[in-house]
Amino acid sequence: MVSPIYILILSLAVGFLLSILDKGGRRLSLTAFYGVLTFNVAVVADWLYRFVFHHVPNLVINTAGFKAPISINLELGVTEAFVLLFANLTGLLAAVYLFRKFKESQVSSLILYLLLIMGVNGLVMTRDLFNMFVFLEILSISTFALTALTRNLKTLSSGFKYMIAGGVASTFFLLGVVFVYYFTGSLNLGFLDAGQFTGVSLIALFMLSVAVFIELKPFPANGWVLDVYQSVDSGIVSVIAVVNSAAVGFVFYKIMPLMPQNFLTVFGIAGVVTFFFSNMMGLKQENAKRLLGYSSVGQMGLLMAVLVFTANAPTNIRYLIIGGLFFNHLFSKAGLFWLAGIVKQEKTRDWTVLRNNKLLLVLFGLFIFALSGLPPFPGFWAKWEFVKVLVDAKMFFVLTSVLVGSLFELIFLFRWFTITVKEDNSELEPMASPHGSMVLPASVFGLLGSVAAFAVMKYFYGFGWLQVLPIGAVLFFYLTDFLPAKVKGFLSLGAIAGYGYCIYPLIESNIQLFFGAIFIVGSAVNLISTLNRKNQSRGFYGFLLMMIFSFGNLLIATSYLEFFLSWEFMTIASFLLILRGRKAQKASLMYMIFSTAGAYLLMAGFGFAPAPASASALILAIESVNLPLISIIVLAIGFMIKSGSLGVHIWLPEAHAEAESDVSSFISAILLKAGVFGLMMVAISYVSHAPSFDVFYWIGWIGVLTALAGAFMASFQEDAKRLLAYSSMSQVGYIVAALALITHLGWVSALYLVFNHMMFKSALFIAVAGIYYRTHTRTMYKMGGLISKMPWTFMTVLMCIIAVSGVPPLSGFGGKWLTYTAFITKGWYLQAGVLFFASGVSFLYLYRLIHTIFLGQLKYEHQEVREAPVWFIIPQFIFLGAIMAISMFPSLIIKPLNVIAMRYFDSSIQIEGLTIISDLGYWNGNLIMYVTMGVFAVPFILLLLVKGKTQKVKQFNIVYSAERPESPQTTHVAHNMYAHYRKALGSWTVPRVEAFWSGVSEWAHAFGGFFRRVYTGNGQTYVLYIIMYIVVIYAVMGVQ
Amino acid sequence: MISSYTLILGIALLIIGFYAMLTRKNLIKMVIGFSIADTGTHIIIVSLGYLRGKTAPIIDQAVSAVNAVQKVVDPIPSALVLTAIVIGLAVTAVMLSFIVEMYRKNKSLSIDDYQELKW
Repeated sequence: MVSPIYILILSLAVGFLLSILDKGGRRLSLTAFYGVLTFNVAVVADWLYRFVFHHVPNLVINTAGFKAPISINLELGVTEAFVLLFANLTGLLAAVYLFRKFKESQVSSLILYLLLIMGVNGLVMTRDLFNMFVFLEILSISTFALTALTRNLKTLSSGFKYMIAGGVASTFFLLGVVFVYYFTGSLNLGFLDAGQFTGVSLIALFMLSVAVFIELKPFPANGWVLDVYQSVDSGIVSVIAVVNSAAVGFVFYKIMPLMPQNFLTVFGIAGVVTFFFSNMMGLKQENAKRLLGYSSVGQMGLLMAVLVFTANAPTNIRYLIIGGLFFNHLFSKAGLFWLAGIVKQEKTRDWTVLRNNKLLLVLFGLFIFALSGLPPFPGFWAKWEFVKVLVDAKMFFVLTSVLVGSLFELIFLFRWFTITVKEDNSELEPMASPHGSMVLPASVFGLLGSVAAFAVMKYFYGFGWLQVLPIGAVLFFYLTDFLPAKVKGFLSLGAIAGYGYCIYPLIESNIQLFFGAIFIVGSAVNLISTLNRKNQSRGFYGFLLMMIFSFGNLLIATSYLEFFLSWEFMTIASFLLILRGRKAQKASLMYMIFSTAGAYLLMAGFGFAPAPASASALILAIESVNLPLISIIVLAIGFMIKSGSLGVHIWLPEAHAEAESDVSSFISAILLKAGVFGLMMVAISYVSHAPSFDVFYWIGWIGVLTALAGAFMASFQEDAKRLLAYSSMSQVGYIVAALALITHLGWVSALYLVFNHMMFKSALFIAVAGIYYRTHTRTMYKMGGLISKMPWTFMTVLMCIIAVSGVPPLSGFGGKWLTYTAFITKGWYLQAGVLFFASGVSFLYLYRLIHTIFLGQLKYEHQEVREAPVWFIIPQFIFLGAIMAISMFPSLIIKPLNVIAMRYFDSSIQIEGLTIISDLGYWNGNLIMYVTMGVFAVPFILLLLVKGKTQKVKQFNIVYSAERPESPQTTHVAHNMYAHYRKALGSWTVPRVEAFWSGVSEWAHAFGGFFRRVYTGNGQTYVLYIIMYIVVIYAVMGVQ
Repeated sequence: MISSYTLILGIALLIIGFYAMLTRKNLIKMVIGFSIADTGTHIIIVSLGYLRGKTAPIIDQAVSAVNAVQKVVDPIPSALVLTAIVIGLAVTAVMLSFIVEMYRKNKSLSIDDYQELKW
């Protein structure tokens, strides 16, 4: 049990001795140097261990043989120890990172570094205000001097700006300290309290607190720090951004109890403003380190806001929020700065060189994910709890700013990430292999961040292994990535089977079972198509399983958080899968942005929702939850983003089209259904607790319009996958509309459509995957006549488009019959009419799909094309078989769906044998099948009889009127096939939604570009900002 | 009375110092401004601890340990100001050394010539 005072003593003593030790060789002085840094970590770690596990009381150290307030005293409690442990650890690791610099630099930099760390320790522990000033100055002076560790014009000028700004701030701090003493007669925090500050003495407190706040870099009085972050050596910057900020932030925390509420509120809001604007300005940044600077400043602002606005939260929640954000920022930001030093590329666009080094790339991804507040990293939990606290306190302005700011941050971080992973790097020189001492610190923090993530999950929230499983899958396949893809594919199939076996006992109701069939069984069948992958297909199966397990976990989630966690895991996994596509950089980014916006809405929506009373799965427990109107609206929008409703659908065609072929089927057939599942959850609560405003009436309209718009857009596509993507959008529109009926028949038809769509869209996407695999093109008019080459695939497509279009005898007909019956019995005639029209439009694209690809002339370059590989054919025919089965015997599926919907409504249909009877009529799928077969057989036989008289049109039977067209493929009937319809629709086909969102993006960037002009680069202007900032804050707080 | 004069003097110096920092383009003049502001701060500190008719808080022939409480001004601000002066000196020194290096690299003492990093 070593007293932490020795941290200060030893740092000082060794600091003074270093210049002597250095005479004996750098090895000696470096040993002493690293020895002290390690000693600091060990001492604090030991104390933290005692505080946490042995509950020893806070340690108070009196100096000079007197008790406070006669002497200065230091205090070490659990919070101090927590902050110091990570500050010292970062200090040590940054020093390791700087090892090669320290080996060659002057010994003075070692001394300065020790003093800096000592200043941090003193600042955190001291209880005396003037002593705080002294440590703050020790910290500042050593930091100023260290900015010039690499000496060039940029570091020097930014260092100078830093000093001038810091000098002004510390002048105010000093004045504040002295006036506090003048008015209260004490300098010791233990002898000061908020009650002592009234009237004029508030000015003293104001100066003190505003000076600390300026040191925390609020917008816009923070231009100097951005220059420092951009120019100074990465190792030192990591210390400034993380360790210094932690210490000063802790000082703010310590003097917070002295401040009256109006001070706190203003500081909190200033923090939120900083967070919002920094991230908005970050949008325009291209310099990697400056970008990190903007993000750091923003994070500190957030931390201040959190310190202020969580004051009334339960203690353990408050610690989780503050500690989570602090630690999250600490490890991810330090890690990213270290990577910046290794990459040595200024522009974010040039970070593609990182791809040469797999370990660094993984770390980069990890830090980016952590910083964006994605699970399982601590920032995620902190943000979740913080949102809840804000909702409970009704601080909607703060809530909105924090969420929008977070979204900005995610946008620039993920843009950077997708560039790094995908952008072409052939013109850049490969990155030199970094020295081990530079990689080690980042690796340690990567590991530590992951361990912390796991610890929060396991010990704070008590999640079981099922919730951790998605991550486990990634880890498992990361370690076994050397195996061939087929082996991993079969392993995955086995894992899915095992997973299904494990969660089956946890399933309590038919509705879970139904979605389980979609999510788990559907995924398993889809997975067969991935068995066609060649070589190792690195990094694929891990994320695939992560996504599938997360689907499953959605079903059995028992709390909002658990649901949301699985939801986010699902988003991450699907994002990474989409990103694998060759040109998927933009598509995946767009997917991530929309998904996260949706996720933030969910977070807010769940925040508004009262906790479910029962311990069963959320989809059941939600029945008894009375969701407030705002919660319903926000949640519904969040879920509808995921299901690609009109207005927020623009991510959908891109993501579907650009993802790898076998991934697209998962996204369309299964991922979209997760949105439906969520929406269903909201609807279930709505059934028994309908608010006065009829939300689902409007959701119904959105669904209807989505169905129509999707069908139209699908008709105008040349790209087969985009066509299918828009078709999915349209089909999910039907589902949403049917769900919104909130009637028994509506739900039966919605679920029926879900099931049907899952099967035929999987089969269609896999069919197109097979075609793409053979022809290497997705543009339909470049194909043709493939019926003779790929008859099996043709068969699937034919059957599926019959199933989609809703003509008898296949399952789609039943879906349409149920849907229209449901709409008509509800009385939504107009909606039914629009849907009917949309069904008509869907014939256009379905016809285009099958006609262009399979009929007509076989193209010359496709002479050698063969049937799709067997791994594509098998899942197609499994789905086809299922479609045939439910077409023949619809009661197979209608019966269970009837039971599911009966849980919420009285049944409105009867099932007699093979016949389903509704109020409007009856439907016997079996009979219809036989009738249609008969209808089909007659012309078929006739055609066979006249076959001899047909003449086959060959490639050169076409007459070009003595001229050769310039680009022959454009003369193909399928090229721009429905131009006339497009013309007829006129201005309706203008892509308004895309234009709207790109306008939003442009505006956000323009604002970011406008506001960052405040940072003129002139040190004097920055001083002016600081002084003006102080004046403004003074005025806003209304101190006398 | 004296204490309020010195207080006003200190505040005046502080304002003059900040004014210089905000208006002088020359780096060295900015540092001089900082130094003036710093001095102003020190004067403010000392004047706050001043008690009328009392002497310096140093125990010698004039002030014995026994009657010190009646005889001397508040010793705490005096102690603080010593530390503050030392710190101010150190900061000024570091600033000036930066200016020397900056001048060597860029041959300019105007703050306007160091705006390369911005936005």
